[in-house]
Amino acid sequence: MLTDSPSDNKLVTGLVADEFRVLNAQMPRKRKSLAELLDEDHPHVMCNDGSTHLFKKKELLWLKEHLDEEEHSALFLPIILEVTSNRSEIIIRTKGRSEVTILSQILDMPVESIRNTITLFRPQLTVVRKVLKTTTQYLFAPAKD
Amino acid sequence: MGTKVKVTLPTKIELARLKRRYRLATRIQKIVKDRLSILVMEFLQTVKECAVIKEQLIEEFMEAYKALSMASGYHGNASLEQELMVSEMTVSVTAGTRNVAGVRIPLFEIEKRDALQAKMKNPCDTSSLLDHSTELSRKCLETTIQIAELENALELLGAEINKVKRINNALEYIVIPSLEDTIKYLTMKFEERDREEVARLKFVKLLIEKREAHAY
Repeated sequence: MLTDSPSDNKLVTGLVADEFRVLNAQMPRKRKSLAELLDEDHPHVMCNDGSTHLFKKKELLWLKEHLDEEEHSALFLPIILEVTSNRSEIIIRTKGRSEVTILSQILDMPVESIRNTITLFRPQLTVVRKVLKTTTQYLFAPAKD
Repeated sequence: MGTKVKVTLPTKIELARLKRRYRLATRIQKIVKDRLSILVMEFLQTVKECAVIKEQLIEEFMEAYKALSMASGYHGNASLEQELMVSEMTVSVTAGTRNVAGVRIPLFEIEKRDALQAKMKNPCDTSSLLDHSTELSRKCLETTIQIAELENALELLGAEINKVKRINNALEYIVIPSLEDTIKYLTMKFEERDREEVARLKFVKLLIEKREAHAY
């Protein structure tokens, strides 16, 4: 039985803290551009928990093929897929046009970036993750009250 | 219905604290549910991929064995065995991890395709049949590494789904309902206390009025 004791309070806050720690562990400390990653022997980024996230060379080469040369240094990887708890859509924050180009090619439909954000629906997410397994990462954001 | 939280101090501060805990618990439950749905999606995708790769592996092995038996028929068992004994094949695999919604999944990648080229000691004695068989075996090895990665991913994702499900159930069926019940109980208790206070005040007012009327 739950009580209002400090230990039970700790249980709930501990659960919350643990969840956020696990969820944000995979977030990269610093994202790298596609051009940088293509130069590396073992393309990787360091995560928040100190582990490394390895990229598949096949995926990087696929991205290289589908982007212009000048866009190689504009595309930062991994692409962050933002999952917000009160929304069914997935948000991708963009800096340039490279994400739009890539996603429209994967989804085979025009994709628009409105105010530097691309909105994806869950079925589209499956298609994107099938192609970009290691070059995309999930970010779980709590809903704003 | 959830078990009521045992409140040692039924005060308004405690009620505020419980409400805060309730809001926190509902927020975290939403995130846990999101994570669960993402993990299930990834799991199902991996299952599909695994099934395709397994079929591919079976076909590749069938072809490789067929090619090997052809080569064996052409060269003879003893000669083929001799050739294969002196041939060498270096495989270098990069092992790392990728993170999927908080689950660290192993990732294997064969370093270079050339590294898998088998070196035959005497190319004059070998035929194209043996080369073909080697090429098919190489493909089999690549697919085996791929399937190792996928099977491992399946196992880890499955375990994480179970864990997250347990957390979600604990929040949904125990923590949140018990907090709701306690908040309801405390709110009702405070309302009752307020009503009693009003009734008491009215009674006191009536008594004072009566006393004053009696005095005149």
